Amino acid sequence: MALTLLILFPFLGGIFALLAGRAEPTAARIAAIVFLICGVLTLAWTFQHGDSGRWIMMTREPWAPMMGVNIILALDGLSFIMVALSLALGLLTVVLSWNATDRAPLLHATLCWTVAASNGVFLSFDLVLFAFFWELMLVPSFLLIAIWGHGEREAAAMKFLIFNAIAGLGLLAAVFWIGATGPTVSFDAFEVAERNIPVAAQVWLLLGFALAFMVKLPVPPFHAWLPDAHTQAPTVGSILLAGLLLKTGAYGLFRFPTMLFPEAMTLVAPFGLMLGAFGTIYGALVACGQTDAKRLVAYTSVAHMSVVLMGICGGVHFSLMGAGIVMVAHAFSASALFLLIGSIYDRVHTRDLRELGGLQRSAPRFAAAFALFFAATLAMPGTANFLGEALVITGMFQINWTYASITLVSLVVSVVYGTRMFQRIVFGTPRKTAVSVDLSLRELGPLIVLAIGTLMFGLLPQFLMVGLDPAVNTVVDSLRAVAP
Amino acid sequence: MTQGMGLAPLIALGMAAVGTMVISPRASAFVVRGLAGLALVVALVLSLGSVGTGSSDLLAGDALARLGGALACLTGLAALAILRPATAPPEAPALILLATLGAAVLSGAVHAATLFLGLELVALSLIALTVLPRTGPALEAGYKLLVLGGLGAAMLLMGLALGYAETGDLALASWAAPGQLAALGAALLLAGLAFKFALVPFHMWTPDVFSGAPAAAALVAGVASKVAVAIVLVRLNAVMPSDGIWPTGLAVLGVASVLLGSLQALRQPSLPRMLGFSSIAHSGYVALILSAQMPAAPEAALFYIVAYAPALTAALAAAALAGDVATLTGLRGMAWTRPLAGAALAVALLSLAGLPAAVGFWAKFKLFTMLAQAGQTGLLAVAILGSALGLYFYLAFTLALFRRDGLEAPRKASPGELAVFLVAASLMLILGFYPAPLADLLAAVTFGR
Repeated sequence: MALTLLILFPFLGGIFALLAGRAEPTAARIAAIVFLICGVLTLAWTFQHGDSGRWIMMTREPWAPMMGVNIILALDGLSFIMVALSLALGLLTVVLSWNATDRAPLLHATLCWTVAASNGVFLSFDLVLFAFFWELMLVPSFLLIAIWGHGEREAAAMKFLIFNAIAGLGLLAAVFWIGATGPTVSFDAFEVAERNIPVAAQVWLLLGFALAFMVKLPVPPFHAWLPDAHTQAPTVGSILLAGLLLKTGAYGLFRFPTMLFPEAMTLVAPFGLMLGAFGTIYGALVACGQTDAKRLVAYTSVAHMSVVLMGICGGVHFSLMGAGIVMVAHAFSASALFLLIGSIYDRVHTRDLRELGGLQRSAPRFAAAFALFFAATLAMPGTANFLGEALVITGMFQINWTYASITLVSLVVSVVYGTRMFQRIVFGTPRKTAVSVDLSLRELGPLIVLAIGTLMFGLLPQFLMVGLDPAVNTVVDSLRAVAP
Repeated sequence: MTQGMGLAPLIALGMAAVGTMVISPRASAFVVRGLAGLALVVALVLSLGSVGTGSSDLLAGDALARLGGALACLTGLAALAILRPATAPPEAPALILLATLGAAVLSGAVHAATLFLGLELVALSLIALTVLPRTGPALEAGYKLLVLGGLGAAMLLMGLALGYAETGDLALASWAAPGQLAALGAALLLAGLAFKFALVPFHMWTPDVFSGAPAAAALVAGVASKVAVAIVLVRLNAVMPSDGIWPTGLAVLGVASVLLGSLQALRQPSLPRMLGFSSIAHSGYVALILSAQMPAAPEAALFYIVAYAPALTAALAAAALAGDVATLTGLRGMAWTRPLAGAALAVALLSLAGLPAAVGFWAKFKLFTMLAQAGQTGLLAVAILGSALGLYFYLAFTLALFRRDGLEAPRKASPGELAVFLVAASLMLILGFYPAPLADLLAAVTFGR
């Protein structure tokens, strides 16, 4: 029941925010915050009362038994971390949009619904339920971009939804095929995992799953929606896109391919490594050429998520652990950068690197925050990003030194785009108006939380590693079991 | 007594139709509508409440027939609710009642005579309902319905005659007989029903009726008549040999409808025309499900069409609300200027696109699962392609609703229209989050079929 509440609380928060907002906009924000905090408390409760085995908690409820669909929710360390991340980012975005005036109740409701749907993705182990939340997540994000976005928001929202929904059809077809062709109509992932699907079928099904995950991740050549969506989305939308939506893709790749189709995964993983290696270099190089700060950060996301793909496809303990840590670390650093760039845009209405500059004089808090999170994007030692990427590279050395060196090269390229952006924004003199108002408390609070997260998990990664360990071991074991 | 129970809703509808027709020239519009609405509610209660399974050679009184009758009454109520008092002709309520009666008869039809009677009752009242505004587009739509519908009826009659020649029996259940005449009869029967069900290449009337006719007529043509014809198809599907021309024909018509309907809907700037073409694609999906010939196919097909009904109802009502500006540009910002109508239309479009949390997701689930179970990879690929195309044109309209550069607000919705929006949207969302009741109901209704 507690696991259902993790999804239900944010969802109800959205509904109450919408209803309460009709009378009083402040009530909407408070409703959203209260319900998200209820979610956090529920998560803490599950931690207190959970088992110490492979799964902290598991729930099975009938949903539509005639259709073979049930509510199967399970929480392990990986899911716990992802759900915590999603609730934290939800709270953070509500705080950040506290003073929003433009259709604020609906804005807070969409934020809550995005959190609810992604919690559903992180917890579901009935494949239809998973697909349900997977598709459901697209709708509030679509609204976020389409309603509160900048510039060409309609085109960006359309591109986002079309790419992801069409890729989602691959997932849907694979899931429905699995359920329909089994001995009984069942979508229980645990049961499907023991079904011994023939390898040829496994490959096709895996490709269906992977299509949805790789578009969401996104890995080149499936990334075309991301720069536009990130650039046109409002700040809170970019934070949820980078912090949550991309993570659902990574989570899906982490969890399901090896669980359901281990044989096919061993066949397909080398291609995943290749795509990932291409993506890291491609994302980093394209980021070097961007002039729009948000677009630049969007391309760095492509590079970092490609590292995650490499880590997952590497399939060894180090690389998987690294992939898990990069997922968390990137959520912090990318969210923080989008927050900072969004705050600058609110003040001077430009994100163009050629027009910005001189932050260190006019707004020192901005400059300090930029310094920290640039360091994180470059994977400086001490940040969680460093730890994650270092582990992935270590894992790569165990498999193939070519991939390891490619990842190392991408690290060098990331220094190029990072320092370029840092220099343009923080030093020099502004071409247009200078940013004269420094970070407000409402912006500083979320940033401090993100900074603590980045540094804490960089210096004391034990929390994360203990949490990720069972999931990583399961993946490694199931790959080892089918290894020739 | 059970016999009487099965007929009670039909009697109520028929008497009310005659009654409203008699009083419509004199009585005020309010009284006529009130009487028609009352009759529909009574018929709805009677078809839901009757427990008897009394059947005759002509009409079945089984659960399927009662479900069809209830859905026809609900659609009739929706059609009545979106009639505009100012412009609707006084005969409209009586015609809606007649069409509902036809749909109810059709969903119980187990005999050639009732099949033809039901079809023509729907068709003729639909034509009258379509042409009554006497505008250019309405007359065009009416002519298309008349000519194409007549052609369809002729093919259907020919099919019935050939079937009769082979078997010497007019009951639908006896047509499983093998034989060349029976196969030809089945093909013609399928073609005749394909006219009513708007399957390619018998689809030409649909977009014109949706855009030219009054919304109530479009609702009758797109929802009431389609649900009833789907029930007829389900009944025939159980009877027809599973390797003959029937499933092949369904599959061919289905593929053609999905592809052509979706492709033509892609570039429609007008909401009703887009709905018209996309409804052809949805008919195609139902045909694909039925062609899979799986034991659960009837249930899946009915689930699909029932899930489709509230979405199309809400979308057509919203199109009627926007009137001449129900286009990609004219609908801009409708979610802000008319929140309830805009939200209902958005939910309806998401449902038609098959996205959660609208019930359309589960319809897509049924469609894909059924084709996967039957091992029909090719048909599954067609369904995926059609869904991918559908995403584009439905979302383009959804996006328009949320734009900020709206030109003008559509007129205010009447209380009846508001009720339609509210009921349809809540049905779609509730069943979207919790589809079990509908699945259970339909499984019970089609059990043993």
